[in-house]
Amino acid sequence: MNLNFNRTAPAAFALLALLAGCKPDLADDFKSSAGSADFSRYIAVGNSLTAGYSDNGLYLEGQLNSYPSMLATQFKAVGGGEFVQPLFDASQASGSGFLTITGFTATGTPQINPELKDASGNYIAVNSFGPGRALLSPTLPLLARSTAAGNQNLGVPGIRVADVTVADYGKLTPSSNAVNFNPYFERLLPNAASSTTYQQYVQQQVAAVNPTFFTNWLGNNDVLGYAGSGGQFPLTPVAEFDTKYSAMTDVLTSGGAKGMVATIPNVTSLPVFTTVSAAAAAAGVQARAVPDANKAALTAGLQLTAAQAATIRFGLFIRTGAGVTREIAPTDLILLPAASLIGSQATPTSTPLGFGVVISGLAPAQAAGLAAAAPPSPLPNSAILDGAEVTAAQTRTSELNAVIKANALRKGLAVFDAQTYFDGVARNGVVTNGVNNTVAFVSGNLFSLDGVHPTPRGYAVVASEMIKSINAYYNASIPGLDPTSFRGVKFP
Amino acid sequence: MQVKTLLLAGGALLGSAAAASASGFQVYLGGQKNNGMGGVGVGLALDQAAMYYNPGALAMVRQNGVTLGANASFARVSFRSENGGPQRDLQSTTTTPFGFYAAFGPKEGKFKAGVAVYTPAGSKLVYADGWEGRASLTQIDLKSIYVQPTLSYAITPTLSLGAGLTILAYGSVNLQRAVQLPSSTGLIELDGKTKTRFGVNAGLFFKPSDKLSVGVKYSSKIDATVEDGEGDVRLTNVTSANGGSGTFNGRFTATKFGATIPLPATAAIGVGVMPTEKLTVGFDVVWTEWSAYQSLDFRFSGNAGLPNTDPNAPGVIGGNTTSTSKRAYENALCFRLGAQYKTTDKLTLRVGAALDQTPVKQGFVTAETPDNDRIIGTAGLSFEANEHFGVDASYQFIHILKRSQSTADLLDNGTTDRVAGTYSTFIHLPGLGFHYNF
Repeated sequence: MNLNFNRTAPAAFALLALLAGCKPDLADDFKSSAGSADFSRYIAVGNSLTAGYSDNGLYLEGQLNSYPSMLATQFKAVGGGEFVQPLFDASQASGSGFLTITGFTATGTPQINPELKDASGNYIAVNSFGPGRALLSPTLPLLARSTAAGNQNLGVPGIRVADVTVADYGKLTPSSNAVNFNPYFERLLPNAASSTTYQQYVQQQVAAVNPTFFTNWLGNNDVLGYAGSGGQFPLTPVAEFDTKYSAMTDVLTSGGAKGMVATIPNVTSLPVFTTVSAAAAAAGVQARAVPDANKAALTAGLQLTAAQAATIRFGLFIRTGAGVTREIAPTDLILLPAASLIGSQATPTSTPLGFGVVISGLAPAQAAGLAAAAPPSPLPNSAILDGAEVTAAQTRTSELNAVIKANALRKGLAVFDAQTYFDGVARNGVVTNGVNNTVAFVSGNLFSLDGVHPTPRGYAVVASEMIKSINAYYNASIPGLDPTSFRGVKFP
Repeated sequence: MQVKTLLLAGGALLGSAAAASASGFQVYLGGQKNNGMGGVGVGLALDQAAMYYNPGALAMVRQNGVTLGANASFARVSFRSENGGPQRDLQSTTTTPFGFYAAFGPKEGKFKAGVAVYTPAGSKLVYADGWEGRASLTQIDLKSIYVQPTLSYAITPTLSLGAGLTILAYGSVNLQRAVQLPSSTGLIELDGKTKTRFGVNAGLFFKPSDKLSVGVKYSSKIDATVEDGEGDVRLTNVTSANGGSGTFNGRFTATKFGATIPLPATAAIGVGVMPTEKLTVGFDVVWTEWSAYQSLDFRFSGNAGLPNTDPNAPGVIGGNTTSTSKRAYENALCFRLGAQYKTTDKLTLRVGAALDQTPVKQGFVTAETPDNDRIIGTAGLSFEANEHFGVDASYQFIHILKRSQSTADLLDNGTTDRVAGTYSTFIHLPGLGFHYNF
């Protein structure tokens, strides 16, 4: 045996290098496929969630991280084309203005303040807002118009299904008000003379874009308008919702497009309703001692027994939607912005807001006397979604979701059941690639500083779930995205 | 030879294996001859590396001598997320597990005494930037070196026994992962060295005829422990020495950690068959008590005394003083088969194969050990330059079979601290060694 090292060694090293360079190929483990759908031209219909609204405002970063934009990016792997959004210019990146954490208190509570201006102090996307956001020049649009041609993201913050046939919804007239006019719709329209309804606008865009695929996530505001106003704004009646939602579905499918619809999440899965716990707030009020002087006055004035007098305490009182003033119950929800109301006083001598005196075992005459002598100062109805209103909102959510699902069935559309999904997330959170996310306000990563709209991370989680629904229904394999690479709440 | 000098030799090489060569993070690369034969050795008495495979066989190794060998380990791990997306490949790392064996005994005597230095376990992986599992791991470097003084005694010409004291002379762990803060990403690095620990290694070797030999062997578990407060915690872009922006300081105050990783007990039985003088065939079954590895727990301590934090509070990472991650390994078997053929007095050729069962249950696959059943193919040769000196070369190819786990698997098992997707790994292990007999 004669081994010629000089001859064999280079060959051996070359072989080794080749082997070492070779790596396992997993290309076949997920093959992208459009399945039975066609994603080449995509159009998105919806409200603030679709527009990319976040932190109580619509601004460029939110638009760039809207779920339709994320979906369109993923669709590109299965034949999707470009996706045009009505973006704010970079010079107007703050859009409508939004909330931001500006710092922390000594106890670590985030200080949340509006971000409305650019570096030079101008309201950037807003042509004619003055301080306090009063309209200075009624002839100009509230927000800078979008000049994007062939807009494919038709999301309009604030719109309800009930609003889709409202004329002049985007045209500022002397009779415009918060209900019949929407500045976010106005900025999508070409000029001040446009009196088109939202449905007509969708029709025009369907004709212009000729979509092969659509998503429709309308309906949230038909419940949220009610819940977010503490039950003061009406819920959309089921019949009206059915008529208008079905008409919208017909418009979207008129060209043969396939699509996905999404249901309405329960209000109880949104941090704006769950961050301030009724039980904790009540305990905080009850922990405050009733001054001895007041105790003595009440004991004398109402002729209380010693046993009755021993029970004198403060309670947290609310005004319900039915006009009843009562102590708060665990089933009542306190709206996030209302938390600061508790204990606030109109004058130094007035009863702090939410406070009332509770005494156990009163005779009817004594109770009346208490009400007269020390009337409670309840939290206003607008600050509270009381138990009955929560039930009403949840019932209506389920009724409207039944309409949405029936339309999906009627036209053969995929459904993203946001109600079921967010109920699950509210209970268990969601782990994305080893990172925990919950619905907790600020710290949970999913919801932005308004407690209603998702953060970019939250929108990415939504987009991932939508892709799962679409893949399942159309037997497609659209690659998912990595929600962990999107931010949660922005910290200073 | 003094143990101390051996340690220095080991320190110069600092061996570890990229994506360990046997199940879990075990490295089963005792000797270059054995490496070429599918890793058999429990039922054979090939050379001084018997101290690794079966100390009982050492007394049957005819010559006194020294064997030294090292491997270069090239691991190629690929990962693809459950949801598709780009294939993530491991950054190339090369590590050098090694073995050194010296054994001496009186000519024609019944005793053999020796010392072995080798790498029983290790792993080094560096994942691609931006890979989906970065919050669970970006890179790991696990090293261990055993020093094993060994004594073997032939009771009869056909039966010998032997035992060694296994000393975990060096062990280190370095783990790095991304910390996903709400709107930024930081890095945490855990770096520690283990305490010296002791175990035993014992075996029995029976060679009733020239054609047959049988061996059994047992090695005890050694807990590679970084004592509490001994390991270093290093944070990058997580906390701030500037109080005003130190939003997360209170959740990341720890500076030290402690942890234990078991290097599991193994038991093996092996058979050697020598049909002719030139041909040797070996077959081993190795059992590893991986069930010792139920969870990976870190205990944090120390306090960095950052602004906006309570300097007297116990140290925390992510708001907790401990972290635990489920492993739930199961005992595993490995089947090894190999042969050598002495073509001439100068050249011996070897070939072998092995099937290595994974200890990792479905849904428990972690990035630091992207494990599954392994199929292993080997080849090797020895060239005897003269009657004293020879060169041994080996090559092993290991394929850790493709393994997928879904989000549902992770949720079912409470193992959502790792990622859903598919792993597949190739490992190339060329090795070179020298032996000197006298």
